Amino acid sequence: MDRRTVLKGLAGAGGLALTGLSAPAIAQGASARTLRFVPQANLANFDPIWGTQYVVRNAAALVWDTLYGIDAQLQPQRQMVESEETTDDGKTWTFKLRPGLKFHDGEPVLAKDVVASLSRWAARDPMGLMIIAIQQELTAVDDRTFKWTLKQPFPKMLYALAKNNAPCSFIMPERIAKTDPFKQINEYVGSGPMKFAKGEWVPGAKAVFEKFADYVPRQEKSSWLAGGKQMLIDRVEWIVMPDPATAAAALQNGEVDWWENPIADLVPVLKKNKNISVDIGDPLGNIGSFRMNHLFAPFNDVRARRAVLMALNQEDYMRAIVGDDNALWKPLPGFFTPDTPVYNELGGEILKGKRDFDAAKKLLAESGYSGQPVTCLVAQDQPITKAQGDVTADLLKRLGMNVDFVATDWGTVGSRRAQKTPPGQGGWNMFHSWHAGADCITPAAYTAIRANGDKAWFGWPNSPNTEKEIAGWFDAKSVEEEKAAIGRVNKAALEDVVYAPTGFFLTYTAWRKNVSGIAKGPLPFFWGVSKSA
Amino acid sequence: MLSYILRRIAATLPVMAIVALFVFSLLYIAPGDPAVVIAGDQASPEDVERIRQSLGLDRPFLIQFGSWVWRILHGDLGTSIFTNLPVSALIGQRLGPTLSLMTVTLLLTIVVAVPLGVVAAWKAGSLIDRVIMGFAVFGFSLPVFVVGYMLAYIFALELEWLPVQGYTPLAQGFWPWLENLILPAVALGCVYIALIARITRATMLEVLQQDYIRTARAKGLGQGGILFVHALKNAAVPIVTVIGIGIALLIGGAVVTESVFAIPGLGRLTIDAILRRDYPVIQGIVLLFSFVYVLVNLMIDVVYTLVDPRIRY
Repeated sequence: MDRRTVLKGLAGAGGLALTGLSAPAIAQGASARTLRFVPQANLANFDPIWGTQYVVRNAAALVWDTLYGIDAQLQPQRQMVESEETTDDGKTWTFKLRPGLKFHDGEPVLAKDVVASLSRWAARDPMGLMIIAIQQELTAVDDRTFKWTLKQPFPKMLYALAKNNAPCSFIMPERIAKTDPFKQINEYVGSGPMKFAKGEWVPGAKAVFEKFADYVPRQEKSSWLAGGKQMLIDRVEWIVMPDPATAAAALQNGEVDWWENPIADLVPVLKKNKNISVDIGDPLGNIGSFRMNHLFAPFNDVRARRAVLMALNQEDYMRAIVGDDNALWKPLPGFFTPDTPVYNELGGEILKGKRDFDAAKKLLAESGYSGQPVTCLVAQDQPITKAQGDVTADLLKRLGMNVDFVATDWGTVGSRRAQKTPPGQGGWNMFHSWHAGADCITPAAYTAIRANGDKAWFGWPNSPNTEKEIAGWFDAKSVEEEKAAIGRVNKAALEDVVYAPTGFFLTYTAWRKNVSGIAKGPLPFFWGVSKSA
Repeated sequence: MLSYILRRIAATLPVMAIVALFVFSLLYIAPGDPAVVIAGDQASPEDVERIRQSLGLDRPFLIQFGSWVWRILHGDLGTSIFTNLPVSALIGQRLGPTLSLMTVTLLLTIVVAVPLGVVAAWKAGSLIDRVIMGFAVFGFSLPVFVVGYMLAYIFALELEWLPVQGYTPLAQGFWPWLENLILPAVALGCVYIALIARITRATMLEVLQQDYIRTARAKGLGQGGILFVHALKNAAVPIVTVIGIGIALLIGGAVVTESVFAIPGLGRLTIDAILRRDYPVIQGIVLLFSFVYVLVNLMIDVVYTLVDPRIRY
């Protein structure tokens, strides 16, 4: 008998005497049907249209289904849709839903639900907004058929409906989908493979999903968001752990089954444990960035921005983020996710080879920089931004720049970066971020690559050439055309330095060896995952 | 006594009103914007602005403050910006774990620290005294999170006696409840055990020099009776004061402990709310904490009258 048993016995006996309460008996095998998962962040809200954080999207993929799903080959595949037709002029799309689709409240999924859901989604999604801009009509033809009529063709329609970038076009009941897209829903009824157990939700600590018995999976093999979403477990518990060391200990101790994103420092410990598997979680990885403010000196001059690119050493950034594990990073002479079908690094020479500080300093001087402070916002509570900030501060100092290093938190960076006032009056010159590789495959969901001035992402780059090439990608009709267009976007965006890419990095995921079926992808997929006792 | 208690409770109202105004003003001028967090990293400035408008965050300070006070007066702490759940419900969800942690910690502290302090005073200058005071210095010096990690490593990972993290409600059984609280309570309790042991020792040393103690010894009373009946009761007022202050400080310590042991309590709710700028939740928690502080002080005053009959209000 070990000490824990003795303690349990003593305390249990005392507890019974004191309270008359006892622990419930856990049915045999119940633990094997429950998967305990540590997500990347806290599920603080659960409206995937209102809030576009990745963690919300990941949880929503369990509860809400989509018309199409992107597969591991990055191709849109039918999901809720049985068939689609488009007219020869490409302006009218007619979709038919699969029979037998049901929401978690038992109501059938109807075309009117889809129309309301797509309308709400399109109001918040960059691709949705593009569709709305050319939309003539979106209507339900009958219970299972709906039609989208446009004023001009939109070749990327199926990709827009399938994409995994937040917000995804999740289908909700009409009564819920009619909620203002800028207000939060408070009913979480979907038609996905799992139901959300709202009664067990403790925001910031726990979220529970239960298998939806009436879900009808497709017959194909699952592949990311496409194919048959077969649930092999009855219950998924998301357990939020703010402290990585605690999550690592809980995984080693068998208190949780799967940790979505262990930090690089703790991976060696996990790899040593014979009960734990560790592997790259998302092969699409992430792209580090620091963003310069194009409105104010010195970075309103392209020569100053190019001087930074000439001196920037991506290896410094990547090692600061991932440490010494070479499997976790690679240089990125451009803006797009490597190892994807349309990847193209045309024009990336400025980021390759030996760094030329002398030439960079000369170019910086030509831009007229004369020692004014450069306000660099660095969120200290995000390891990725903190690591990049430290490297950037060193880089700028070596270039002879006067760095005003503002160490703050992510919430403050989030609001201050929206300020268009001069740096000395509450504004800024640069901040750091990173972008999920899944968002950077093409310009479709890549907000950070846009360079349309006032309408662009923070930093407000204005590069008509980049915008012209992005439009060219949207018009591309084949993979070859897309790839060529991506190359032109990359070249134009590097010439004008829309932002500074600091490299491509990957992260690990870790799980207990009694769990199987975990697929690599841009989000954790729970279908096909099983667990033995 | 009753009128005193009622007067003290009434006196909490202006205190809480000042706290409310202070916190609301502080949050209003503090940098950060919940709309930015909600909208996500890829959101356009226009989206952020529309979310800000829908949350009413674009309204003038006085209107926002007035509408919040009006709701408070109607017993409504408001709705969380992020979860869309009532603040009272969120606090209700988290109250159990924090109260459990504080209760177990406090009991552990009193049960361990007071006898240690008494023994240290009794054996003042001896090896036992030095060991106990050495432990006290150790307890003071180690941060809660360091103790927490050490305990988790030894008792959860190596020995596998206790779980690393989590919380089980008491309704699911006494042992599952206690099992999750032992390590966090020890981690959190270390500094308080050290503090109270030192205070107890210092106070007891003074009391043990008193004439009536010498008289008790002369009458042939046993050492246990002298220490724990006569001396400890007369040393109790400062000890109770420090225990009371300790309860207030426990709230702060719980923030770290709950994070290290992944306990879904008020401490973690507070941190999450601050990082996300969830104003209604921050305001609700601060009001609750300030009320608890006032209540604890009131309880200490009442306990004084029990341990020292000379004190009357």
